[in-house]
Amino acid sequence: MAGLNLVLVTGRSLSQGEGLDIGKTTKDYFEGVAIIELDGEDLEALGVVEGGKVKVETEYGSIVVRAIKSRRKHKGIAFMPMGPWASLVIDPNTYGSGMPTLKGIKARILPTDEKIPGIKEILERIYNIRVKEIPKETLSEGESVSTASRVIDNVACSFCGCLCDDLEVEVRNNRVVKVRKACSLGSSKLLHSRENRILNPYVRENGVLVRVDLRSAVKKAAEILANAKYPLLYGWSNTSVEAIRVGVELAEYIGGVFDNTSVICHGPTIQAVQEAGFVTSTLGKVKNYADLIIYWGCNPLNAHPRHLARYSAFAKGIYAKSRRDRKIVVIDVRETDTAKVADLFIKVKPNSDYELATALRMAIRGYDIESGKVAGVNVEKIRELAEMMVSAKFGVIFYGLGLTMTQGKGRNIEELIRLAQDLNEWTKFVAIPMRGHYNVVGANQVSTWTTGYAFSVDFRRGYPRYNPGVTSATDLLNNGDVDAALIVASDPVAHMPAKAVENLVKIPVVTLDPKWSLTAVASTVVIPVAMTGVEVGGTAYRMDKVPIRLKKLVEPPPGILSDEDVLRMILEEVKKLR
Amino acid sequence: MDLLIKNGFVYDPINGVNGEVLDIGVRGGKIVDPSEVDPREAKVIDARGKVVMPGGIDIHTHIAGPKVNTGRLMMPSDHYFSFMKFEKGVHRSGTGKYTPSTFLTGYRYARMGWTMAVEPATPPLKTLHTHEELDDTPMIDKLCFLLLDSNRILLDYLSQGDLDRFRTLIVWFLEATKSYAVKLVDPGVAISWSWGRGYGLDIDDEIEPYGITPRDIITSFCRVNQELKLPHTIHVHCNRLGIPGNYETTLKTMKSTSHLSVGGEVNIHITHAQYNSYSGESWFDLGSGSEEIAKYVNNHAHVSLDIGQIDFGTAITMTADAPFEYALFHLSRWKWGGAEVENEAASGIVPFKYRKRNFVNTIQWCIGLELTLLSKDLWRVILTTDHPNGAPFTRYPKIIALLMSKNYREEIFKKLSRRGLKKSILPSIDRELTLYDIAIITRAAPARLLGIDNFKGHLGVGADADVAIYDIDPEKIDLSRDYMKIKERFSRALYTIKGGEIVVKGGEIVKEVYGTTYAVKFREEIDKSLLKELEEKFREYYTISLSNYWIPEEGIRHLRYIYCG
Ligand code: SF4
Ligand SMILES: [Zn+2]
Repeated sequence: MAGLNLVLVTGRSLSQGEGLDIGKTTKDYFEGVAIIELDGEDLEALGVVEGGKVKVETEYGSIVVRAIKSRRKHKGIAFMPMGPWASLVIDPNTYGSGMPTLKGIKARILPTDEKIPGIKEILERIYNIRVKEIPKETLSEGESVSTASRVIDNVACSFCGCLCDDLEVEVRNNRVVKVRKACSLGSSKLLHSRENRILNPYVRENGVLVRVDLRSAVKKAAEILANAKYPLLYGWSNTSVEAIRVGVELAEYIGGVFDNTSVICHGPTIQAVQEAGFVTSTLGKVKNYADLIIYWGCNPLNAHPRHLARYSAFAKGIYAKSRRDRKIVVIDVRETDTAKVADLFIKVKPNSDYELATALRMAIRGYDIESGKVAGVNVEKIRELAEMMVSAKFGVIFYGLGLTMTQGKGRNIEELIRLAQDLNEWTKFVAIPMRGHYNVVGANQVSTWTTGYAFSVDFRRGYPRYNPGVTSATDLLNNGDVDAALIVASDPVAHMPAKAVENLVKIPVVTLDPKWSLTAVASTVVIPVAMTGVEVGGTAYRMDKVPIRLKKLVEPPPGILSDEDVLRMILEEVKKLR
Repeated sequence: MDLLIKNGFVYDPINGVNGEVLDIGVRGGKIVDPSEVDPREAKVIDARGKVVMPGGIDIHTHIAGPKVNTGRLMMPSDHYFSFMKFEKGVHRSGTGKYTPSTFLTGYRYARMGWTMAVEPATPPLKTLHTHEELDDTPMIDKLCFLLLDSNRILLDYLSQGDLDRFRTLIVWFLEATKSYAVKLVDPGVAISWSWGRGYGLDIDDEIEPYGITPRDIITSFCRVNQELKLPHTIHVHCNRLGIPGNYETTLKTMKSTSHLSVGGEVNIHITHAQYNSYSGESWFDLGSGSEEIAKYVNNHAHVSLDIGQIDFGTAITMTADAPFEYALFHLSRWKWGGAEVENEAASGIVPFKYRKRNFVNTIQWCIGLELTLLSKDLWRVILTTDHPNGAPFTRYPKIIALLMSKNYREEIFKKLSRRGLKKSILPSIDRELTLYDIAIITRAAPARLLGIDNFKGHLGVGADADVAIYDIDPEKIDLSRDYMKIKERFSRALYTIKGGEIVVKGGEIVKEVYGTTYAVKFREEIDKSLLKELEEKFREYYTISLSNYWIPEEGIRHLRYIYCG
């Protein structure tokens, strides 16, 4: 059969993002995420029609998904949204970094007649989880008490790391009815906050989830955690600082591992900072000053939709007053939506960002670069960019998962940070990571101030230790090292490599989540919680480490408590047991 | 439970008690007359042959907030080698020697008998972060100083000559951020640093684009500070820190506010003065400027300082003086962290090593001690290491021993740079501080300078019952000769009592408590029209809204206001 060898890149997408709100068992999620985006020419070469089925094979596994024709040209590169389908074909090895390789994987694509497995099938067939039926619960409409509505302004959006704090939210009958100023991701989260909710605690009995009261669920959760020899407490990027603080305390008490989702986003950035330091600023500095903005390995128009308008390319600042006062550069392996608005797009060969950063460091110093091309980029273009960099008055590099998830990982970032540091010999330059979840930075912050380490913290010996590659959630799960897990505000079953998921679902898992996630479906104990930033307040840290208070907009569903409260209950119960 | 501390040698300078054998009573977290405490009902501590002092107060120590946390992040090696285990029901765990995690910070202070510490540099926009860390710092009371010298909105008004709004907004920023005092760091420099400039900015240089000078900033803040009757003076990290010859800038800075002082009251605090007391023209002919600085301070009651003593070994420099850190990075060539906060401040972090045989480091080491030993009024000279810049705060016992023992100093001299020692006057100073002096520079004076000496820093009736007991018998130990004992005994308090509870016994944590966070509060109401104007400015300058900038009181564990005005 005719097949094609391509480079596979996985990443976030809009549908994947929205899937978080509407639920991962829906048809929309299936249609948006069980796909592979191929270049038109590649699709033709495969002899597959748009929407046809293909099999994706890598060294690590294979899966059938639907082929989509990409709106842009990126011959030789295929894109899959992060999710349970992509998880089956990515490289789970972290090579000592804690970060699996999620981008730049060699893959073979074949036309196929096989069926695309649905979520349920993946869970049942591949992971052996008896799903039976996901408990269907609908939040009662309640009585219309009044038709009066109130508008809450300066609401911080608890979706992405931009934490835009200018939202206007209209609330009627304890329900969000209108959201102004947010992007589609942000308003979707608020408007769909009542959908796909877990409304009762569940405990798995004889393979099926059975409704229980909160007390028994907490008790069962505490038993699991107290009896574990080496539990993992994972997630934490979609909850408040207040909850994270209790999480650390619980991990310490039971001698477990406290890890947050940065292990599969910007963990490598943190490792780079440990090596090289950093040079950074808050977003307002960019807004007011930056006349050169480089987006490298990130696609904010999709992942952080308001970033450009509020903080960077299009923002109205004191010195840089508008788009006209700024030069925009995009560096990526494919032409993204963000690339469309750039003055200069540099297409870097997959897995060669490190080389490009090194070449730029050389070019700004005026060193000779002998070969005509570096990282697939003509040297003239590299010189052009270097010239733009040194002649900028205030330059910034925003960098994303395109650098942390490919080969080189932390080393890519280290080189990028050094590039930015070097540039300060000539001008002003900063580098800012594009952090994804709205409070992943908060998880790093709390973890650092309480333990000294930003992620992958191991309390087994009674004090914090850190060794990504060993104490990282990915590696612990890949290797089957942990014997119980507490998952808070995260969905590892959807996003971790298949190997890690296989081991995760073998051990008792306690999940705290407002919504039915795949992890919740596969858990031993499920405890519903209120939505932080919607039904409970708290602090979150923006991607540039600015702390912002989240507001409580509506009451949580009856009987449902915050992450913080539930965690405290579990901690108190654990203390009785050990 | 009530406490009765019996027969200790009490050092309580605020009440003029100098080593007299006294009983101290404690009830309800306060010091009471010992006769009020019934020894049959109270816990009696036999302090015979021990030293009893108020709890230590650190007036300048970088222990919490954005800069400190990034310092932790940058230094995994520090956390790998130094840790404390979790003890169920007693205390939490932690790591780090130079940038300890928050719990460990509290425990380490308590173990030395310190009960209060000041985070001296928080950028307003990120002060909620600072408070969250302070909330997770147990055992001690705390407060923070607010970075205001390069604040765009304040400088707008200042350069327009609108001192009314300037003054009102200082009130607003302090209240919004629940901070305690005004901090000026290399005044005005963070503005220039936005363009990568500003290194070496001197007190009379103009700051673009405002056309004002650091002197204008210092004197204007000083004036407002006095008008508002803030409990602490302006807290100034002078221009040209760490640059040879900078003692002249420091002298100018001190003089700049002398005419403003009312009745000789202290109106400016020069922080970590060691770093700003260099003579000479380059690193090669560096000299100590401590005599000139000490002379000025001795002759002018309007100045106080803390010394910023260094100790040899590793340190992590972290300041809001971003250009200085960048320059230091070129010397150390290891890691550099630089950060900027919109419209407010900048900062830098560079790990560093002070070496004994190094000429410059030897002079630095001497200067801190000289500044103290040359002082004629220790009430205006405070012990600090500018933790973790000069050394971690856990070196206080060592520095106390150095100040108390010429023998000890001479012991160290042997290992230092000869050339450096020749440039220093320390070898010619015989003075040895007494326990009373130590109680001044680590307890009484910081309390007084913070304006809380009515209830902190002393052991008189009504004071907060924060007490340290050390296993030192001044009648038996020769303090000058047995300097190692001083160091040892100050490292591990026999008892630390915080808010009336025994929290440390035999140098070990026995109970975890959480102290109070102090912030200033003003009686004046802020004009509504000004708030509207401010809202506009925020929209223009900032990336968060005015209403989200205000830190709610509920966000802080135990908040207590000190009212001013
Ligand atoms: S950009 Fe991010 S934070 Fe801003 S509204 Fe959209 S999802 Fe929310
Ligand atoms: Zn300092």
